[in-house]
Amino acid sequence: MKKVIIIFCVLSLLIFIRPALGLGTNTSSNNLDDSVKTEQVEKTVESHSYDGAFKGIKQFYNYTGFANVTSGHATMIVIGIIFIFLGIKYDYEPLLLIPIGTGVILGNIPFVAGNQTGIYETGSVLNYLYFGVVKGVYPPLIFLGIGAMTDFSSLIANPKLMLLGAAAQIGVFATFMGALYLGFNLPEAGAIGIIGGADGPTAIFLSSKLANGVNILADGTTVKNLIGPIAIAAYSYMALVPVIQPPLMRLLISKEDRKIKMKPPRAVSQKEKMIFPVVALILTLFISPSALPLLGMLFFGNLLKESGRTERLADTARTKLIDIVTILLGVTVGASTQADIFITKDSMLIFGLGAISFVIATCGGLLFAKFMNLFLKGDNKINPLIGAAGVSAVPDSARVVHTEGLKSDPSNYLLMHAMAPNVSGVIGSAIAAGIILSFLG
Amino acid sequence: MTILPLVTDQISEGYVILITGLLIVFGALVILALFFNFGLPVLLYVYKIITKRKDKKISEIKVEADHDFTGEIAAAIGAGIHMYMNEQHDFESAILTIKQVKKPYSPWSSKIYGTQNRL
Repeated sequence: MKKVIIIFCVLSLLIFIRPALGLGTNTSSNNLDDSVKTEQVEKTVESHSYDGAFKGIKQFYNYTGFANVTSGHATMIVIGIIFIFLGIKYDYEPLLLIPIGTGVILGNIPFVAGNQTGIYETGSVLNYLYFGVVKGVYPPLIFLGIGAMTDFSSLIANPKLMLLGAAAQIGVFATFMGALYLGFNLPEAGAIGIIGGADGPTAIFLSSKLANGVNILADGTTVKNLIGPIAIAAYSYMALVPVIQPPLMRLLISKEDRKIKMKPPRAVSQKEKMIFPVVALILTLFISPSALPLLGMLFFGNLLKESGRTERLADTARTKLIDIVTILLGVTVGASTQADIFITKDSMLIFGLGAISFVIATCGGLLFAKFMNLFLKGDNKINPLIGAAGVSAVPDSARVVHTEGLKSDPSNYLLMHAMAPNVSGVIGSAIAAGIILSFLG
Repeated sequence: MTILPLVTDQISEGYVILITGLLIVFGALVILALFFNFGLPVLLYVYKIITKRKDKKISEIKVEADHDFTGEIAAAIGAGIHMYMNEQHDFESAILTIKQVKKPYSPWSSKIYGTQNRL
């Protein structure tokens, strides 16, 4: 019985799929003719088709990455892999290094130009995403998220610490001068200088405005495209803050000074927290209107957080929105390091200048804190270590200050105090970017 | 010879930007600091006068009435509420369909039915 059913099923299946296979009874005679004809044709074309197949394979090979790879591509891909490795293995800013590392690999896959693949080819997907970097769209959105995350209360409680954030901006201007002496143009030097602000979004914003490879200088030449090198330098040194800053702290600040305990900041009322973003927005933007996209979004985000009525918006800004923008920014900035544009002498100079600017900024903050201590008495004295947090790099540099303070006195908690110059450093570097932009833009 | 003046010009302009830039950054943050040191208390005072309501300072709130209520008790209550709120989710039913579907017995693919009742 079973066998009968199976045979019946197979037969019915065959009948059903017959049209699909083309096994119709009435077309069988035609099929025979066709097969004969094709055999004849194949015999005559045989020799040509082998050639064609080889040609096709050769052409395909010419389109592959293996045929187009250069040493530059290979180097950059290795760098990308190192970034990913550092991010995963040592936890160095993985949220940035992994997208950037992947982007570096993406941007350096060798390809044949003209197929709308590369990030610099108009019409390619990556080019559309890169638009947000070139036009400076992403940085203000990141600032919105940062604003919605940041608690300014330690700054409001102790406004004099704002000066430390200003002092660290000496790194920006010193690097600017250094770049000028090394032969960069004024706009390029301005964009390089902002690496000293230790603020990734600000650096990308300013370099997208000044050194974007599009602007034309007074003498008729176009500026170089330095967005990639500047962004990579800024983010790499921000990840290296725990390596760069501690030796400078130990060098410049004496052991007794490192042990200074600051009095706990006073409690700040909610009213003050709400007034802060509005007043700071108006004051700073009246002074430096060019920083409007950055500071405007920063304080707007902070107002969303502190108003107490827009928790939903603040929550989106500080979680989902900033995550989305960070993903896009990281990948596209990484991909913009295409070997032929990235591996140049200029990039090496920028990396050197970036390191120097971090050192100068840290020293500026530390020394100014010592200088301020000359005028402060008793309880009001500040621990000079927190000056180092003036180089934005939120919140890494504050954390470094905290651990360094703990090393000299295990009961000295500086984190809260260090956050004040830290966030004022963000404001300071955004103002500095605005000033440079208004001079050179 | 034509390049040299251009370069020196750039450097001097650089110094101009350096000095003005630093001054403006300092100026901006000094103004902010001054405002929050001196301006803000005035602002809050004015606000207080406008609303004609006495803002209670923390030191003015009397603590005698709740002498036994220490921070530790508050922390314990807070922890208790927190734990309770966290556990709320655990009692959620995992069944996502609205109705539970009960089917009448069907001999389809039943082995025992197949062995007893030959087709």
